[in-house]
Amino acid sequence: MTRARSEIVLDLPFLVNGTLGAAEKAEIEALMAEDALLAAEHEALAAIREGMQAEDIRSPGEFGLARLMRDVGREGAGPATLKDPVQAPARAWVWQVAAALAVIGFLAQGYLLRDSSAPQGGYQLAGAGQPGALVVTFAPGATEESIRALLVEQNLEIVAGPTALGLYRLDLVGGGDPAAASAALAAAADIVESVENAPN
Amino acid sequence: MSDDHLFLVRQIAKGDKQALAALYRAYERPCYKFIVSRLNDPHEAADILHEVFMDIWRVAASFEGRSQVRTWIFGIAYRKVIDVHRKRGRVTVTDEVPETDDVAEAADAGYAAKQEAEHLAYCMGTLSDDHRGAVSLAFYEDMTCAEIAEIAGVPEGTIKSRLHHAKKLLLHCLSGRIKGRAVA
Repeated sequence: MTRARSEIVLDLPFLVNGTLGAAEKAEIEALMAEDALLAAEHEALAAIREGMQAEDIRSPGEFGLARLMRDVGREGAGPATLKDPVQAPARAWVWQVAAALAVIGFLAQGYLLRDSSAPQGGYQLAGAGQPGALVVTFAPGATEESIRALLVEQNLEIVAGPTALGLYRLDLVGGGDPAAASAALAAAADIVESVENAPN
Repeated sequence: MSDDHLFLVRQIAKGDKQALAALYRAYERPCYKFIVSRLNDPHEAADILHEVFMDIWRVAASFEGRSQVRTWIFGIAYRKVIDVHRKRGRVTVTDEVPETDDVAEAADAGYAAKQEAEHLAYCMGTLSDDHRGAVSLAFYEDMTCAEIAEIAGVPEGTIKSRLHHAKKLLLHCLSGRIKGRAVA
C-alpha cells in the first residue's frame, strides 16, 4: 500500500458508489479484508445508498416543464419591454399573473398527489362555471412564495382566474370559514390588494 | 449521452426551447431529488428547480464545455440551495461527530435502514447542508469525488472529509433511531 490507512478509508463512499479507480479500489478492498469494522461500514453505506436510490420522489414533471416553457416564452419577449419604461406596469402585471399561475399549477399538483384515487374530481381550471368563495387581486410586489404560503396557511386554493382584470377566485379546501379567511387575506395587504366575497 | 447533452446546451444557447425541454426531461428528476434532499421542502425545491432551468436558458451561451453538462447543472442547483439557506439564515444543523462506542453496532443499524426509509430521511435531515449535499451527490447520483468537488467548489479532500463525517453521523443517528424503536 502506498497510502496511509486513514487516507484510504476516506474512499469508502466511492467504493460504494462504484466510482473508484482500479488502484484505489484494490487498496481499500485489501484493507477491508483485514478490518471487519470497515467491511461492516461498507455494508451499511451500501444499504444506505440502496435506500436512497429506491426513494420515490414526486418531481414537478410536466407541470414544471409547462411552467418553464411559459416563463421562457415571456422572458424571450422581455428585452424590448425592459428598455421601454412605458411598459413597466404591464410587466408587473404579467409577472403577477405568472406567479399566480405557478401557484395554480402547484396547488393542482398537490391536490392530485393527495388524492390520486379520485383523479377526475376536485381541482378545476377557470372556465368551469364560477366556483369560489372569494375574489381577490394580488399585490404587484407579491412573490409566488408569499402567495402560496398565505393560501396554504388559510386552506385556500385558486379555482379560477385570472380574469382580464387580474381577478382570482379562491375556495376553501375542505370547508372552513370564508369570513375568517377573507379577514386574513385583507390583513395581508402586502400580498393581497383586494378581497371580497364572490357573488353567487 | 454527455455529447447529446452538450449538443442540447449549444442549441439552448441559440434559443431552442425544444432543446431546453429535452434537457429538462433528462435532468429534472435527479436535480429535483438533489435539491429536495437539501431543502426538505418540495414546493420550495420545485421553485429552485425552475430557477435552475431558467438560469440554464439565460446563460447557456456562456457554457464553454470545460466541465460536464451534469456537473454544470448540479453546480447551479448547489449554489441556488446555498442562497436559500443564506436567506433563511440557517445555521449548520450538525457538525460534531458523536463518539460511537460500538461502530459495528452502528453499522448493523445502518444496514437495517434498508427497510427504514423514514429513519434514513430523518437522519439525512439532521446533517448540515454541506454534508447532505455531498451524500446526495455521492449516493443519489453516484458521482466521482472530482465531480462533487467541482460542483461544491472545494478541494477533493474536503469532499472526502465531509463524507467521512457524514457517514459517522448517519450511522450514529440510525443506530439511535433503530435502537429506540426496538426499545419502544
